[in-house]
Amino acid sequence: MSRQPVGRASLGRGAATLVPNRETHLRFRRRAVFVGLMLTVVAGLFGWRLVSLQLLEPERFVAHGEAQRIKTLKLRAGRGAIVDRNGVDLALSVPGQSMIANPQRVEDPVRAARALAQVLGADSELLERRLSSDKSFVYLGRQVDSEVAAAALALRISGVYAEEEWERVRPGGDSALSILGRTDIDSNGISGMELVFDGLLSGTDGERVVEMGMRGASIPGGEYSVEPAADGRTLVLTLDRALQFEAERVLLDGVEAVGAEGGVLLAMRPDTGEILATATVRRSSDGVVGISSEHSAATWTYEPGSIIKPLTVSAILDRAVAAPDTVREVPPRLEVHDATFSDSPFHETMDLTLADVVRRSSNVGTILWAQDLGAEALHEQLREFGLGSVTDLDFPGEASGILHPAGVWSGTSLPTIAIGQGVSTTPLQMLTAYAALANGGVRPAPTLVLGTRDDGGVFEPRRRGPALTVLPAAVAAEVVAMMEQVVASGTGTRAQVPGYRVAGKTGTAWKVLPAGGYGSEGHRSYVSSFAGFLPAEAPRLAVIVVVDEPTGGAYSGGRVAAPVFAEFARFAVRQLRIPSAEESVGLEREGRVMALTPARHAILREAAEVARLEQSGEMVAAPATGG
Amino acid sequence: MTAVLRHSRVGLGHRIDDGTTGRATVRPEGRSAVALVVFGFFATLLALAAFQSVVLSGQFEFDSLQRRLEDGRDRSQLLRAEVARLESPGRILEVAGGRLGLVSPPTRFYLPSVVPGDPEAILAPPVGDPFSRASR
Repeated sequence: MSRQPVGRASLGRGAATLVPNRETHLRFRRRAVFVGLMLTVVAGLFGWRLVSLQLLEPERFVAHGEAQRIKTLKLRAGRGAIVDRNGVDLALSVPGQSMIANPQRVEDPVRAARALAQVLGADSELLERRLSSDKSFVYLGRQVDSEVAAAALALRISGVYAEEEWERVRPGGDSALSILGRTDIDSNGISGMELVFDGLLSGTDGERVVEMGMRGASIPGGEYSVEPAADGRTLVLTLDRALQFEAERVLLDGVEAVGAEGGVLLAMRPDTGEILATATVRRSSDGVVGISSEHSAATWTYEPGSIIKPLTVSAILDRAVAAPDTVREVPPRLEVHDATFSDSPFHETMDLTLADVVRRSSNVGTILWAQDLGAEALHEQLREFGLGSVTDLDFPGEASGILHPAGVWSGTSLPTIAIGQGVSTTPLQMLTAYAALANGGVRPAPTLVLGTRDDGGVFEPRRRGPALTVLPAAVAAEVVAMMEQVVASGTGTRAQVPGYRVAGKTGTAWKVLPAGGYGSEGHRSYVSSFAGFLPAEAPRLAVIVVVDEPTGGAYSGGRVAAPVFAEFARFAVRQLRIPSAEESVGLEREGRVMALTPARHAILREAAEVARLEQSGEMVAAPATGG
Repeated sequence: MTAVLRHSRVGLGHRIDDGTTGRATVRPEGRSAVALVVFGFFATLLALAAFQSVVLSGQFEFDSLQRRLEDGRDRSQLLRAEVARLESPGRILEVAGGRLGLVSPPTRFYLPSVVPGDPEAILAPPVGDPFSRASR
């Protein structure tokens, strides 16, 4: 088909409108070319953008996309709980909320601060300063109640959020505070067990990486990984919550009754050294007696007074200086160098056995026999009982007390130290020494920790310190028999516990005055104490009560501290299921057992299972370590 | 000049030129195949949409369960603290002396844990389930 030029003349009427002329055709072509070029440019731009996105800097845009979609959520690790020997929670962490803000996103800091101050109960100016700062993160309120947090969020202030965090609580209030210690606002241990075992109690936070779409919903098949949080281990203490509470209660009453400045009560299992209760109360400057946050049983030193006499007598018996029934003439007064020692109450010169000396708490008699013993032997025996050195308790701030070497003793050191003056100890050291007497001459290592538990409840016992033999069992038994007479008919009759044989010793020590010295008669301050254990025939509970500066007419250990001992011991033998002599009859028969609480039963069953596994070699107990 | 274009295939169906009338017809099996392909395509799309919906629903459920688990853990910890607080001797004493108006006795009496002189014979354990309906 040939193409022929078509002229206007050959097309007849109306052809001018139907046949495009050359100009129109050219215009159309120009437009077509222009549109084509524009489209090409646009396509080029798109192409360039595509190349730019996909090839030139893809990482930036991939990262941007991932930042929008992939979220890393922090999984908070809980701080381990602290529980007593029966598994009762003493301190644990609960979820709480803190109010936080990004000041960059707060539109009107002044108005926001005023509104939040009312809800949070905080200072409006302080909040305003924080909300006006150039930081991107500020705290508005730490660990607020959930209702308060909800109310603050309900204000719908832009840039104000709630953040979840753990809050440490002690369900029993201030009970056992001196042992448990405290944590700071960020749950870091700062005192007590919280500090000592901070490494074990603290957990390790985990994280969850998840790909999220709109409104925070996870994208199916998207990125997902979890590193679980590892909660801290549960710390199992040797304390018994009920005993601890009772110890605090009776000590508060006892200190209040005699108008004393404070007091300490410490209870221990003499065979294992496990501390069952430890209470410290102190009178504040406004005269109110309350539970102290200081663990004075381990950190406070004092001159023990006559409760040291059983230790002195132990040395006398062990070195065969005298026997319990050895008699000697004891005058009412004794002068040694420039000091005069006397007995209270006054007595004429009389013959006393060594047992009588202990029962009557005779200073003169003790000094006379101590002089026969000698300074070196006395010093050595007291050191073996643990005086003058810290125990294995591993408690922060534990004091070692003062027991100078015998070589530097003055002429009056021997008589004064023999009766508990001129030497300083902690109540813990004295009770540990008494535990050695109760335990057949074997001094236990005091401990506050039974072990730890992991998330699954598997118990890991803590390795105990070594027990040391400080006295032959026969000598210890003789001393215990003397101490039993102290409670039966001596200075400690107020420490009697119905149904139980109690062995103990009273102490009434002069207190060193701030200016030095002990002061003259009528101007002295005293530290009254009683330490003892029961049942005397097979001791299972040792207790020391120390009352600081009792006022009024009664200040002797037998009148001030012994009643506190007795009241506590009456409760403790029930709580610990220690049978009285009468109750013990027939207990050896099969099927007759002391009544047990479910918690105690579970512990015994678990202990039996652990013992069985250890015996069969299926499980080896690993030591727990402090943090 | 005019030209008649005749294709053996027009549209989706197979057309057959019978050579006499010039009309083209579509084979029935071809039409069915096309319909099947179309149906299959849309059915696949529907199935994919349904599957996606199920997956999304499952993911939502998973997220929801995870949140509930975390809330449950938090709640459990709060309740644990509350139980410990309610059981604490201090709180019991406070309620006894405050709300209930109880007064501590001047002396305490402790019941013995083992009753002296109780019969030596151990009580026989109950036979069967003492709490079952049949034994009542």
